[in-house]
Amino acid sequence: MKLLVTGANGFLGRYVVAEALRRGHAVTVLVRSTETPKVGWAGHPNVKMVQADLRSRRGLAEAVADVDCVLHLAAAKSGDMYAQYAGTVVATENLLAAMTDAGVRRIVAISSFSVYDYLKIRSFSVLSEDSPIETDAFNRDEYAHTKVVQERLVREHATRLHWGFTILRPGVIFGKDNLFTARLGIQAGRIWIRTGAWAKLPLTYVENCAEAIVLAAESEAALSQTLNVVDDNPPTQRRYAGMLRKRLSPRPMIVPVSWTIMRLIAGMGVTINRVLLGNRAKIPGLFVPARLYARCRPLNFTNQKIKQVLNWRPKYSLNEALDRSLRMDAMELTKVDSSPQKEDPAAKPRHPKIAEVAA
Amino acid sequence: MAVVHQKFLPLRAAVIGTGKISEEHLRFLGTDPRVTLAAVCDLSPSLARYAVDRFGAERTFTDSRQMLAEAKPDVVHVLTPPGTHARLVSDALNAGAHVVVEKPVAPTHREFLELWSLAESRGRKIVEDHNYRFNEPVLEIERMVRNGELGEIREVDVRMALAIRKAGGRYMDTSLPHPSHRLPAGVIHEFITHLCYLTLRFLPTFERVAAAWSKHGDDTIFKYDYLDALVIGGPVHARIRFTSHSAPDCFTVRVGGTRGWAETDLFQPHVRAVVPRTGGQQLSPLVNQFANGVTLMGSSIRGFRNKVLQKTPYEGLRTFLDQTYDALRTGTEPPVTFEDMDRAGRLIEALLDDANRV
Repeated sequence: MKLLVTGANGFLGRYVVAEALRRGHAVTVLVRSTETPKVGWAGHPNVKMVQADLRSRRGLAEAVADVDCVLHLAAAKSGDMYAQYAGTVVATENLLAAMTDAGVRRIVAISSFSVYDYLKIRSFSVLSEDSPIETDAFNRDEYAHTKVVQERLVREHATRLHWGFTILRPGVIFGKDNLFTARLGIQAGRIWIRTGAWAKLPLTYVENCAEAIVLAAESEAALSQTLNVVDDNPPTQRRYAGMLRKRLSPRPMIVPVSWTIMRLIAGMGVTINRVLLGNRAKIPGLFVPARLYARCRPLNFTNQKIKQVLNWRPKYSLNEALDRSLRMDAMELTKVDSSPQKEDPAAKPRHPKIAEVAA
Repeated sequence: MAVVHQKFLPLRAAVIGTGKISEEHLRFLGTDPRVTLAAVCDLSPSLARYAVDRFGAERTFTDSRQMLAEAKPDVVHVLTPPGTHARLVSDALNAGAHVVVEKPVAPTHREFLELWSLAESRGRKIVEDHNYRFNEPVLEIERMVRNGELGEIREVDVRMALAIRKAGGRYMDTSLPHPSHRLPAGVIHEFITHLCYLTLRFLPTFERVAAAWSKHGDDTIFKYDYLDALVIGGPVHARIRFTSHSAPDCFTVRVGGTRGWAETDLFQPHVRAVVPRTGGQQLSPLVNQFANGVTLMGSSIRGFRNKVLQKTPYEGLRTFLDQTYDALRTGTEPPVTFEDMDRAGRLIEALLDDANRV
């Protein structure tokens, strides 16, 4: 297939491009900078680089030309609401408009676990694709808000135009240079304030996640599906922090703060803000219940649906993933053999209907 | 009677451009009982919808002309990049609406005068946002000047330091350069109106101007990143500075007169005044120090409260809009007059004039 990967120079994008190339796809790589990305697949004959910025429509026609499917990873992860709207929502609007103009009718959009409404999901229950979605995202941070809007945008647009679409919601994507997660708590240099202990972390190792994304593009069964991406056997906060600590040098100092205490503080914070300050105060995220619960509420996670739909089996276990992240360099991890590829049956749509939709 | 009744009806307001600055306008428009937020318009339907969800606008549009035709606003807030103002302001005036517009009204003074002429022919008003003029510390210094506490004004110093060159910041974005890079003074043009109208509050006229426009950074996108200018009107000397090379961010205004001086930093609000105090010449320095210490402590507490309650340096915008809507409803002179805008525009032109460059 001919794939367009947006956000290809980002943390996840680099691995998605590598995986797509390994599976024999031709990949158009959309990047903002004119500089060649420092990745193992740079210069690969099946890679076409297109420089454009999704916040503007300029250059997007070239990017989507002759593409069978778009893997839409681009999103803003920092900045104020308006910066994140531009980088995530406006970017998606522009991409969808360019796809419509070019007649590209298949998209795999990367959403996030942040779209769930964690206040409405009971502790220790299983979070799945059917769990409630955040409806009042103003309580949440800018990232969660814009991902909710982005997902709605893709779903509504693709449904209206009868496109083939798949929404993937990865949990916490970790990998080289991205091993700490806000779901563990706060990182202040070598001191980690771990908010909770028994809450599970919905981790997905970046190479595992990248494979799931490419599989979704190839799979007919993935059409119109929303799938959570989580690796097998999610660890607890305590276990993951412990595994990381053992592998890092110098070792971080972990300061545990219990979930109950955090909940009490957040409850007090929100009450004081409501009663005394008319909800006008800006409170740190961890003291806002909607945000605290999104990070730390003890839940269970399942990857049953994605395994069933995509026949995806996370290739690397948690131990292997940590070892790869710490021992291999980024170039090695994204290296792709550029010798002529054997015909990979997976590189073709797994079902004629995909080809139909793509056409 | 009909006219009297009209005065009590809420004005129908519309906003074009729902970027960052719109938040401050929409917060006012969404809550003020004298205004109905009739419509918002943005090229991005999602951004327009965000404004509706958050501030309660009645309708959204992606085409400004369609919005003017269908929503029929009494007042249009033009909050898009300056390069687009001329067309959008003209359209709004031609549709019979007053215009509140973010600074600068137009990239050049000539274009501003053309728009003003159009407004006059339509019997409408253009009001440029001079929000910092309405911040409490500036109003306090103006009060001191009016009361003669500083004596005859002789010196004005307005200085802004902003980290516009911060890596990853919106002005350093090379893949999608900020529209202000295309303005005559580049990114500094985004802020120069503020510097000029604040200077002119204390410098009624100006005859001589010398401006050093510099670029000390080694990038390719900035035109200028430093302005150091001297403006002289009669016996009053004013200095206007903009820098992106010193930290932290600040926006200071210092006014000196024949009796004393007062200063503020609008980003960390306080007013420090050194004036003759009770106790005569001998004790005035001591009393000034004590009085300013007490003031500074009070400002620290207010600063903390403002931080928690998310009161930003845009606090003056609400006062500006409040007075503007009062004027538009009653048909009186808006708080930012033609003379205010004209003088600020002429000073900007003078600063940019090749003949005045150092």
